[in-house]
Amino acid sequence: MQEIKHPSSIIEILEKHHYVADDEFATALFLLLKLQKPLLIEGPPGVGKTEIALVLSQILETKLIRLQCYEGLDINAAVYEWNYQKQLLGIKLQEDSPFSIEEKEKHIFSYEYLLKRPLLQSIMEEEKAPVLLIDELDRSDEEFEAFLLELLSAFQLSIPEIGTIKATHKPYVVLTSNRTRELSDALKRRCLYHWIDYPDMEKEMDIVRKRLPGIEQKLLEQVVSCVQQFRQQKLSKTPGVSETIDWAESLMVLGYREMNAEAFKKTLGSVLKSAEDIDMIRSADFAEFNIAT
Amino acid sequence: MKQQAFSTGSITEGIVAFAQFSRSHGLNIGVQETQDALQAASANLITGQQEFKHALKAIFCTSPEEGRLYEQLFILFWETNPTDLRDQKNKRTIQGSVEKKTNNSLVMLGRGKSDQNSVEAKNVSGANETERLKKTDLSKINEMEAEQLEEIARKLFREMAVRLRRRLKESRRNGQINLRRTIRKSIASGGEPLDLYRKARSPKKQRLVVLLDVSGSMDKYSFFLLRFICALRENFRQLEAFVFSTSLIKVSKALQHNRLDLVLAALEAQTNTWSGGTKIGACLQEFSERHGKQILNGSPVVIIMSDGLDTGDISVLGQEMVKLQRKSKRLIWLNPLKGMKGYEPLAAGMKTALPSVNDFKSAHNLESILELENILADA
Repeated sequence: MQEIKHPSSIIEILEKHHYVADDEFATALFLLLKLQKPLLIEGPPGVGKTEIALVLSQILETKLIRLQCYEGLDINAAVYEWNYQKQLLGIKLQEDSPFSIEEKEKHIFSYEYLLKRPLLQSIMEEEKAPVLLIDELDRSDEEFEAFLLELLSAFQLSIPEIGTIKATHKPYVVLTSNRTRELSDALKRRCLYHWIDYPDMEKEMDIVRKRLPGIEQKLLEQVVSCVQQFRQQKLSKTPGVSETIDWAESLMVLGYREMNAEAFKKTLGSVLKSAEDIDMIRSADFAEFNIAT
Repeated sequence: MKQQAFSTGSITEGIVAFAQFSRSHGLNIGVQETQDALQAASANLITGQQEFKHALKAIFCTSPEEGRLYEQLFILFWETNPTDLRDQKNKRTIQGSVEKKTNNSLVMLGRGKSDQNSVEAKNVSGANETERLKKTDLSKINEMEAEQLEEIARKLFREMAVRLRRRLKESRRNGQINLRRTIRKSIASGGEPLDLYRKARSPKKQRLVVLLDVSGSMDKYSFFLLRFICALRENFRQLEAFVFSTSLIKVSKALQHNRLDLVLAALEAQTNTWSGGTKIGACLQEFSERHGKQILNGSPVVIIMSDGLDTGDISVLGQEMVKLQRKSKRLIWLNPLKGMKGYEPLAAGMKTALPSVNDFKSAHNLESILELENILADA
């Protein structure tokens, strides 16, 4: 990995990894790397929030540890769990040993019986600081969010039976949220913040071209301008950049070199993900979308 | 008047002053943020002006709204010349500064100006009095009683919130076996798991969305309903509240801090909405377009509190109700008019909405509002 000395060099490096970022985002990432503060990224679905963590891990040539949040996510699934079967066996094996109960207990609650879940894994990484992605944090419960505070500010975790474990290497933490609920102020204050919005026409074309180098310029323009127009409509699910890429890709696979009414109708399902939206757009005339021909 | 960039000597001083400046204009910046900013600057991480701006943005802001405010503040602080200042001095008002508490806002919620103290009024309210007040239609309550009733309401609402919480705890029975505790306790008996410990499934937190009609016709009821919403917040942490008449305002944030006065002030700022009629359909449409995607995610329980007297387009209302019902776990409509004798949902708006409503309840007196507890308990 080459030394990153300036935000603009991040843009270049990201570009090599097919990720397009603007100055503001690059600066935020730069600070994440240099200050080692967690970065909270918010924005609509499908604009590359999760992707950046993946790219970051590639750039830093380190491991990506991912924690997908969901409602009811608890500490056992996120931090650690004891290996119960092994513990039961351990107790049985120790039955005739001369150790006292305290010693036996200490033994079966040692690292040997500990199953590391993503968060614990991220601070116990031996060789290199990993990238820790905490994805869709807004889906988790508030309790879990509160629990994260210890990790995000002190980079340590407490396990009652063992004690406090401090990070050997501070992980680079990226948190993402779709803003389905407001995250707590306490959490936000421990993070850097960046909001990613839908890209404009030019930037989006840039992104798609990076991902699908073989695409015809004409098709690219048509697809992107179409999606940009979709976003102006009142759809129940606004397509993100990933949908644009999917759409362009499916058109390419089907062998279209440019968009026409037939191709448009056939492949609408790869960009619009709700029956109502598809009906609405289908019933509108194809010609209504000013597609550069 | 806070310092501005030109009056500071060094970059360190400038950053500290900027942090203070931003804080005084509504950004939530503490010592930690300032420290981070200084650290970023001192480590020679920041070279250009643009970068400087972006870097501080990442450190100082926590939402896109704050981001926009920041952009303004940045220009104001760093790019103002002393000479420009004299002209602008009086013009600068930036949104985001803390709003002053207003008392007269209560007036519009049908509670009258209570400046003249009604001290003579006896403050004793016996059990009978309480019962009577609970059953009295909210629109028929006079000013003096209103205070008493508010007191009673506050108490009952609090009790209700506690009950709802407790009910969730009581129902924690038979769960999966908690292996962790079982094994820990079994060490004493040499590894034989004699006692099985169970793990209760943590109660699923129901999300709640409340839409309150504050139009003129709801006048008398809105204040108590707003109180009620505040009480609900105690139990439903994830509560989103909106008020509407001709337009829609989100009040969740203000409720979060239990600042009823802020909500009322926000309402007052939109005084023009009071004169016009209610456009329930249009407001629901606005709701689903602007907030629906985020807030209706994961099927919350939705409560609409309105009398259903719609002066807008009825067909929009019907359409929106169907949409709303599909996206919510349960759609509850509280209508104060339902408490009147012989009331039939004949008003065009109400009639259109009714087929999509799961529970249609009255909310004309305290008792009927409290009945909602039963619906929410098993919602």
